[in-house]
Amino acid sequence: MKEPVIEFKDFSFRYKSQNEFTLHDINLTIYAGEKVLILGPSGSGKSTLGNCINGLIPFSYEGEIKGSLKVSGIETQNANIFTLSNHVGTVLQDSDAQFVGLSVGEDIAFSLENDAVPRSEMLGKVEAVAGVVGMEGFLGALPYSLSGGQKQKVALGGIMHNDVQTLLFDEPLAALDPAMGMTAIDLIDQIQKAHGKTVLIIEHRLEDVLYRHVDRIILVNDGRIQLDTTPDELLCSDILKANGIREPLYISALKNAGIRFTPGDHLDNIEELDFDRYKDDVVKAFQSVALSAAKPKGEKIIEVSHVSYGYNKERLALSDVSFDICRGEKISIVGKNGAGKSTAAKLICGIIRPQSGEVKINGEDYMALSIRDIGCIVGYVMQNPNQMLVKDIIKDEVGLVMQLHGFAQEEIDKRTERVLRMCDLYGMRNWPVGVLSYGQKKRITIASILGLQPDVIILDEPTAGQDYKRYTEIMSFIDELNRDFGITIVFITHDMHLAIEYTDRSIVFADSKCIADDVVFKVLSNNEIIERANLKQTSLVTLAERCGIDPEQYIHYFIDSEKAEREAFAKEGGI
Amino acid sequence: MDDRLFINLSPGSTYLDKLTGKTKVRLFFAFIILLIATWDMRIIFPTLILTIIGLSSLHSKLKSVKAITIFVVFTNLLNLFLIWIIEPDYGATICGGSTVLFQFTPFYIVTGETMWYFLVRFCKMMATFVAAMTFIQSITPSELAAGLYANKIPYKVCMIVSIAFRYIPDILRDFQAIKISMQARGMELDAKKTTLWTRLKQNVLILVPLIVTSFDRVGNIANAMDLRGFGKNKTRTYYAEHEDGPGDRQMKIFYIFLYLLILVVIAFRIFKPSEFEVWYPWS
Repeated sequence: MKEPVIEFKDFSFRYKSQNEFTLHDINLTIYAGEKVLILGPSGSGKSTLGNCINGLIPFSYEGEIKGSLKVSGIETQNANIFTLSNHVGTVLQDSDAQFVGLSVGEDIAFSLENDAVPRSEMLGKVEAVAGVVGMEGFLGALPYSLSGGQKQKVALGGIMHNDVQTLLFDEPLAALDPAMGMTAIDLIDQIQKAHGKTVLIIEHRLEDVLYRHVDRIILVNDGRIQLDTTPDELLCSDILKANGIREPLYISALKNAGIRFTPGDHLDNIEELDFDRYKDDVVKAFQSVALSAAKPKGEKIIEVSHVSYGYNKERLALSDVSFDICRGEKISIVGKNGAGKSTAAKLICGIIRPQSGEVKINGEDYMALSIRDIGCIVGYVMQNPNQMLVKDIIKDEVGLVMQLHGFAQEEIDKRTERVLRMCDLYGMRNWPVGVLSYGQKKRITIASILGLQPDVIILDEPTAGQDYKRYTEIMSFIDELNRDFGITIVFITHDMHLAIEYTDRSIVFADSKCIADDVVFKVLSNNEIIERANLKQTSLVTLAERCGIDPEQYIHYFIDSEKAEREAFAKEGGI
Repeated sequence: MDDRLFINLSPGSTYLDKLTGKTKVRLFFAFIILLIATWDMRIIFPTLILTIIGLSSLHSKLKSVKAITIFVVFTNLLNLFLIWIIEPDYGATICGGSTVLFQFTPFYIVTGETMWYFLVRFCKMMATFVAAMTFIQSITPSELAAGLYANKIPYKVCMIVSIAFRYIPDILRDFQAIKISMQARGMELDAKKTTLWTRLKQNVLILVPLIVTSFDRVGNIANAMDLRGFGKNKTRTYYAEHEDGPGDRQMKIFYIFLYLLILVVIAFRIFKPSEFEVWYPWS
């Protein structure tokens, strides 16, 4: 007999500040020892669902509750957050903010400290837990010296005490690079198996979570449970795209080849997939189209040659780096955190200058140009739009950059209007910035630098934390800027999907060196580069190998066909 | 991460480093209260020597305090000089007497009493400064929180202290990032090219996003703390607060002595006040 751990019965929830209910009539039971993925796009209510389970709702976020929710047999409305935290351990999305201790040991010990456990007992417990999550030997390390993945391990360690029955992960992959993401999913899996915990993962990156087995997937959208089924059945259906979730790439590829699935095909694990059944169709589809020819390159806008730079004497952040950026290109700069990607962006913007080597902009040495001058040619968009928006009204935000450059008011008005129309924001020009959604804010941060008519835009992680729908929105907007206005786009990212779908060329950084600079499909089919740069091999490579097709060509084919599909969809008046 | 100022984040290995937060806090307050309570050079001078010994025992970190030490010495000397400019015979009111050593004009005289007062005042300021530097350099923010808690400060207040230290570097990093993006958008922050007023206005622009992102973070931190049971009980323990070592037992005798000394000093001031504020050896 399976023992229920979490039971929603006709459960609805409304935030105090909102008129509409965020969750409607949730009926859901999760049993002990299950591993469940709660899948849904941003704003679907999946995080709200998680917050109901761990007690943040209604204790930190007040609101109206209808129906009943029992966690480990306790009716949450009648309990308090501390009681619930003995049963449910939560790892939050923001691995930086939840690291409240000043060292790894302290952070792991935080809940023990709050339980007033004597220090002599605490030491042993902390050490044991650090061993479980693979952070032994780091107990004295400071939070500032840890990677995102390590911080997450510490966060996981911090909730492992008290024998919590349920572990809840709120978007565990959001801040991690692809290889770290795989390690995290693996670690969650091991802990679940070794300790028999119930595990809930809230995510929208289906393929990455499916790297390890999941018992059940609950698809949430519009505050309702859309589907509650096994991964296998979910992947057979066509419900994912309609709900703003990206299918695993190999599934899309197989579906594009005209293959229809039936439940029981083991779609959730590419290793177990019976390729003999699909091989012929895949090869036929692949051979039916000719691969696109390489785009001719425009003239060079930015030339970086043999540049080295170090923030301190001990370690170089860039070491003998050379690459070019040509007019009209779409480039992704990829690599693990700390590999030198962001430093390269700062270098191009002139915020840091080469200690040796040379950077040329439009053929001239840029040492003579100030950051402001470079700003007229290269625009820089930060990852978090909240870090860029300074004005209350959209139109003022867009005009700010021209004001700072001392343009005449007339010219500012003229250009602001043009930019607002370019970005489809003209109708909203007098709206306050505060009321906008994240995606709209992102669009405004891009608009806010277009006033100077830059040739190149550098975007730092434009899609971090975005679900597929918003991601597509942002990216197709950027694509339009490139196609219709000839603006060169440089992405700094570790999102391989983005690199595959939206860029022509990838510059790969690892250990402060530039280790590859080539068309995307060549980079992604090179195992050595992938390993060195902490990237993840796409499932397309496995698929191609199993079907006996050259992976490089197959990725090329896939990019072409996705692009064609997107363009057809755009013509129909889609996104 | 070079923006940690001279805050010490990982515990060191010297005698003072190894004391518990509780001992460090008690020692520090003993020194500070004593220095505030007295103008007697017979107490101040030994205290100064002790604090200097304390600071130099943390040898590895001396370099980081060099700049601020020079600054403090300079401002103190300037302060004394200004007092002399305004009231050259200040020592008379405070030590009771004016032994003229030499004379520039009839008004600008140098008296033994004034010089003695200046010397006492300088030593007092320096001892306070060195004590504070020793304290800051030897204690980690977590030990400070634990130490304050051990001295009956409510733990929620102590938490504010350690949380502040934890997130200051993060906020500084945010600030840098925002500044960079504003510079790339054309904000001129070079002092030579803009007026002070423009720069002030522009810095306000940087603050807007900084405050917005910091508020987001505060919400997340509060949730993370709630979820791990912060505020559950009336009492709390500290991972960073180890058991008393031999140093703690030795220092306990020492700070008890200091607190007794403070009582004696205060008792004298109340029950047997001397005519003049500062003890002058040659009167």
